[in-house]
Amino acid sequence: MRVEVSYKFIIGFIIVVGSTVLVNLMTPHLGVTPEWQQLFSTGVALFVGLLLGWVFSKAFTANFRVLNEGAGRLSQGDLSKDVVLPQPLLPDETQDLAASLNQVTGNLRELVGIIRNSSAKVAESAQGLSATSQEMTASSHEVANTVEAISRGAETQAEMVERGSKLIRDMALSIEQVAHSASKVAEAANNTVNSAKNGGEQARATMDRLRRFMGETEKNGEQILSFGTQVQKIGKIVDVITGIAQKTNLLALNATIEAARAGEYGRGFAVVAEEISKLADSTSLSAGEITTLIETIRDQSQQVQASMKENSRELEAGRAAIDTTGLAFEEIIQSALGAQAKATGIAEASTQQTAGAGALVKAIDEISRVITDNAAATEEVSAATEEQSAAMEEMAHAAQDLSALAEQLLATVSRFRLASDGRS
Amino acid sequence: MEQVLVFDLGEERYGLEVGHIQEVADSPVLHYIPQSPGFFLGAINFHGQILPVLDLCNFLEFPAGPHDPRKIVLAVEGCALALAATAVHRIVPLAAEALLPFQGSPGRESFIRAVFHHQGRMINLLDLPRLLRRLEAA
Repeated sequence: MRVEVSYKFIIGFIIVVGSTVLVNLMTPHLGVTPEWQQLFSTGVALFVGLLLGWVFSKAFTANFRVLNEGAGRLSQGDLSKDVVLPQPLLPDETQDLAASLNQVTGNLRELVGIIRNSSAKVAESAQGLSATSQEMTASSHEVANTVEAISRGAETQAEMVERGSKLIRDMALSIEQVAHSASKVAEAANNTVNSAKNGGEQARATMDRLRRFMGETEKNGEQILSFGTQVQKIGKIVDVITGIAQKTNLLALNATIEAARAGEYGRGFAVVAEEISKLADSTSLSAGEITTLIETIRDQSQQVQASMKENSRELEAGRAAIDTTGLAFEEIIQSALGAQAKATGIAEASTQQTAGAGALVKAIDEISRVITDNAAATEEVSAATEEQSAAMEEMAHAAQDLSALAEQLLATVSRFRLASDGRS
Repeated sequence: MEQVLVFDLGEERYGLEVGHIQEVADSPVLHYIPQSPGFFLGAINFHGQILPVLDLCNFLEFPAGPHDPRKIVLAVEGCALALAATAVHRIVPLAAEALLPFQGSPGRESFIRAVFHHQGRMINLLDLPRLLRRLEAA
């Protein structure tokens, strides 16, 4: 039967009071003197009281000692034993307390067990997390490095693209220059063709004039030849005359001789012969003069003929030169036309090349854009990676903290000794 | 007044009296005489008569030169001869007073009888007899 402690105290008190009263009541019956009655009663009361008190307190103290021990054990962390109170006659709150304490112990035991398991698991997880986060940090460092490399590569790309772009711009410029020069060449070739055509026409006109002139010169030459022939005839006649004069002279000579031999009779004859001789002399003289003139004419005519031949040769050479000039002009025209065609071809090719260069520029611009996008994306990736890295670091720290915490927890609960523990 | 036929022998001008001359032949055909002395130029046919031609230049030891085709046919008694000169000129009158004596070089036989002036030149008159004598002797 459960009796609460307060009741027990009250009962005890009542017993004491009752015993006192009893004693008081009894004492006159016992024959004790009235002076000693009070003392006696007090003494009995005290005695009873002390006795009861001792009985109570013994049990009480014993219980409380056990409870204290139990609580002490609990405070030490020894959860292995339950508090066992000796079986009382009258259970009271102390039993309740013991039961509660045991409950507490049991709960604590459970809790600690759970905590131990959990914290062990947490520690494990924290380790795993730490390791994973380290791996992740490492790999995110790798990613960061790769991204850095990509970024550098993108820089190089951008540089190359810039260079390429510049080269293409220069190329486009030089193509333009080439086209310009080609058009100039075509123009010049055109001019050359025109000039050569003019020159060719001039050459032809000169040739015609020359031919006419040579025709006339031939006619002159023929005339001079005929002159020469006439002069030769004159010469022959003069020779005849000279011969006659010589013969006449001889005749006169012989006549003089005969006349001398004839002596007196031949004197008149001698005079006549003398006259004839003189005439013959005069004739000879004149004939001589004519011959001289003829010689002069012949010389002059020969000179003229020679100079005409020279002229003719020069004219021929001139004609040949003009022919050559005409041919040369033809050749010039041909090569100028060829140059024109080539220049046109170059101009066309340049236009194509310019178009091609334009396309190239567009392509390079595209590439440049892609590279810029890539660079931006890389930057983002880099930033994200950094964030990730930071988060990883934090996570690692958190994991470490968690681990530490778990260890702390473990350390804290290691104080508690469960019944399952082999060591204290 | 003599008449003298003037002719050249080389550079020298010579003369011969017309009296010694028959005729001046007009370039007769000259036939070569084989094995004849050097002073004979050849032979000519003069009116059917064969006349030897004396090369005066050669005979008088002048340097050789061209000959006038006209040959001087001599009219000397018993002498059929023609003379060849470098050039035959004309007949000039000669006054006897104009004749000048000629001194030949000693040790050398000259066939020059005398000299006279005519138109600024010295003309040596040929000594024909002496020449002919000399010729016969050779």
